[in-house]
Amino acid sequence: MKSLSLFVEKDTTIHRMNPISKIIYVFAAIVIPMLIGNHASALLVALLSFMLLLWAQVFRKVIPLMGFSILILFSIVVIQGMYKEGNHTPLFTLGSIVFYQEGIWFSAEICLQVLNMLEAFSLLVLTTKPPDLIESLVSKGLSPKFGYVLSSVLQIIPQMATTMETIIDAQRSRGMKMEGNLLTRIRAFFPLIGPVVMTSLISVKERTMALEVRCFTSKRKKTFLNVQQVTLQDKIFQGIMAICVAGSLLWRFVR
Amino acid sequence: MNNIIVKELHFSYPIGGEIIKGMNLSFGNEPTAIVGQNGAGKTTFVKLLKGLLLPTDGEIIICGHNTKNITAAELAKYIGLVFQNPNDQIFKNKVLDEVMYGPRNIGQNEAEARQNSLEALEWVGLSSKIKDNPYDLSLSERKLVTIASIIAMNTKIVIFDEPTIAQDYASKQKIKSIIQRLQKKGTLVLTIIHDMDFVAEAFERVIVFTQGQVLLDGNKQTVYGETELLEKAYLEQPHVTQLCKKLGWSDIFLTVEEFLRYNK
Amino acid sequence: MKKIIVNDLKYKYPLAQTLALKGLSFSVEAGEFIGIVGENLSGKSTLCQALVGLVPHFFKGAYGGSVVVSGIEVATSEIAELALKVGLVFQNPFTQVTGSKLTVYEEIAFGLENVGIDREEMKDQIDQALHLLDIYKFKDRNPFDLSGGQMQRMAIAGIIAMRPEILVLDEPTSQLDPQGAEEVFKAIQKLSKEGMTVIMVEHKMEKIAQYSDRVMLLHQGEIIDFDTPGKVFSRADLMGYGVNAPIFTQICKGLGAQNQTNALYPVTLDEAYAAVVKTGHE
Repeated sequence: MKSLSLFVEKDTTIHRMNPISKIIYVFAAIVIPMLIGNHASALLVALLSFMLLLWAQVFRKVIPLMGFSILILFSIVVIQGMYKEGNHTPLFTLGSIVFYQEGIWFSAEICLQVLNMLEAFSLLVLTTKPPDLIESLVSKGLSPKFGYVLSSVLQIIPQMATTMETIIDAQRSRGMKMEGNLLTRIRAFFPLIGPVVMTSLISVKERTMALEVRCFTSKRKKTFLNVQQVTLQDKIFQGIMAICVAGSLLWRFVR
Repeated sequence: MNNIIVKELHFSYPIGGEIIKGMNLSFGNEPTAIVGQNGAGKTTFVKLLKGLLLPTDGEIIICGHNTKNITAAELAKYIGLVFQNPNDQIFKNKVLDEVMYGPRNIGQNEAEARQNSLEALEWVGLSSKIKDNPYDLSLSERKLVTIASIIAMNTKIVIFDEPTIAQDYASKQKIKSIIQRLQKKGTLVLTIIHDMDFVAEAFERVIVFTQGQVLLDGNKQTVYGETELLEKAYLEQPHVTQLCKKLGWSDIFLTVEEFLRYNK
Repeated sequence: MKKIIVNDLKYKYPLAQTLALKGLSFSVEAGEFIGIVGENLSGKSTLCQALVGLVPHFFKGAYGGSVVVSGIEVATSEIAELALKVGLVFQNPFTQVTGSKLTVYEEIAFGLENVGIDREEMKDQIDQALHLLDIYKFKDRNPFDLSGGQMQRMAIAGIIAMRPEILVLDEPTSQLDPQGAEEVFKAIQKLSKEGMTVIMVEHKMEKIAQYSDRVMLLHQGEIIDFDTPGKVFSRADLMGYGVNAPIFTQICKGLGAQNQTNALYPVTLDEAYAAVVKTGHE
């Protein structure tokens, strides 16, 4: 694995959209249902994200992520359904356990919000290459140094994994036992920490010097090889999002 | 007595092609250098010898033990490996403790381990630094610490992975004398290496790997005489040999000393 | 035209007891190929760092004397500005990969983006660098998918894309296999032929002798000699400075076989061949 990223290589309209537009979408998808504050808006947005994920042909990748959160959400539903303060209208019973309407209703809201966040973030992460995403943030003012740290971490961590393997081999080859009971395995950890830390520190120092001579600390204004296109589509989309968010704010204060 | 027997060895990683494509080798006591391009399978071969990897097919017998039947930790009693980068292995904050780690792991008691470690440190010339922190030493000295930590384990076989990388003349001479001293003691010394001149001076047998197979195997005179085959494997002959070849001589000389001895 | 002028350069790293460089003075002409040799810790890497400004700006420490590259004083300029005049390639190919780019092409753009080069110009400079280093065919690959030799050529490409006038290389082939090393030496020679001023630190004496116009012998932070390879490697006292002459020179010294043309000992295969033949040792 060369790079830690969830990006799925496809050629859809969503993929081609400017990363900033997608970030704005994530923001809108989370904020609008919160502002409007009812189940209908959350459901609508979740449905919209679902359709966008299908359009981008990346829905399949979301399922494992969803599977994990569904477990957690399910337990929330169960607990709130049974024990929420203010529960007094029974909805249904399972044997001797009663599930109340208020609890279920409340947890449904939480579920929808989580679902929304998950879907919106997935849309962003599955259709955008991390360097492109970070570059658009840098072009909007994110510190280039911070941007570099973010984008390099994704490739450097898998590289560190290879170094880690070498270090494990080196210690095993001096008789360190790896197989055996839990205590043995825990003890095996200690001879690894030192070399991992040292090699990382040395790599960081060498890499920093290499970056310096590639003008990393230059005070000149940066240019970009890959220009993230801001098409008319993007502008219209961003405009629509802005209007929706403004509308929801208004709704909130008028209500 | 064969220290290492390699029978019909095949190896593939779970993902990727076959790395070792059928090798048959045996090693007695002759100091041997394994050479070849990167990617030819040298590092994989050494990991297989050390039990860090297991053969996909075929078997490896180290001092009578099949690597499939014992753990890498157990094998460490018979075969030691000096890794290329000392920073990949040093973790104690005193040189002596670092050198004693290996011996203690393979079953030497405290007194034995201490004795062997002090001796090993004397071999590498670091007796005055036994209480120092390894990370306060220069990179060359750290390399010597890792060499000492393997010598102290008193294994029958010692493998060096690229011992001469980034070393200057004096360090190379030191490493050469350590190899000779080990050999005198009866240890089988193996190395993976790119420096043909160093091989010519310090080793007897040369095995050339190419694309997972053995291309050449024999004493250094024979192997280094095979100009065309070496070219095919992207390897150079030792510089002395290159001069002999240009002069059109039929005798192959490998070191300056040999050349001068026969020609003065 | 002097590309590099060093005057009484002294330097001590922050926590060190002794000076790493003890008053170096020398100059380098445009287009020269300089080889630097010396035992470990003789100051070779420190000198490389001083030519690009890592010493003193990155390492801090105590600094004295002056270094002027392409007319710019190192002590009073920023590393990022100096990098446009003089580039430095390090020993380890892996730690020179930025890690923030997914293709070789983008990787080489990194330095150019940092200095605000116009996009169209950037593409020209990248293409040129890729072709010069013969790695154009890898331009869409992930940098970490390259072999050691290819990665090091990519590192060199990333530096020369910024069009420096001087290229400094600190043991560029130490960590490469023979084929990788050969690829890198060929590339460096090509750059030199195109007019680049090259400073190369190496332990492979035969290569230093083959490529250098002049060789600098360093020992404990001082310049012992700075002359043609023939003159430097003919010295009888090299071992005292922790350095051994190229193998061909060692043989010829043993035979007493000197070059006919200059009464120095041969330093390359061809010179050695000629000298041996001359002395009748066929």
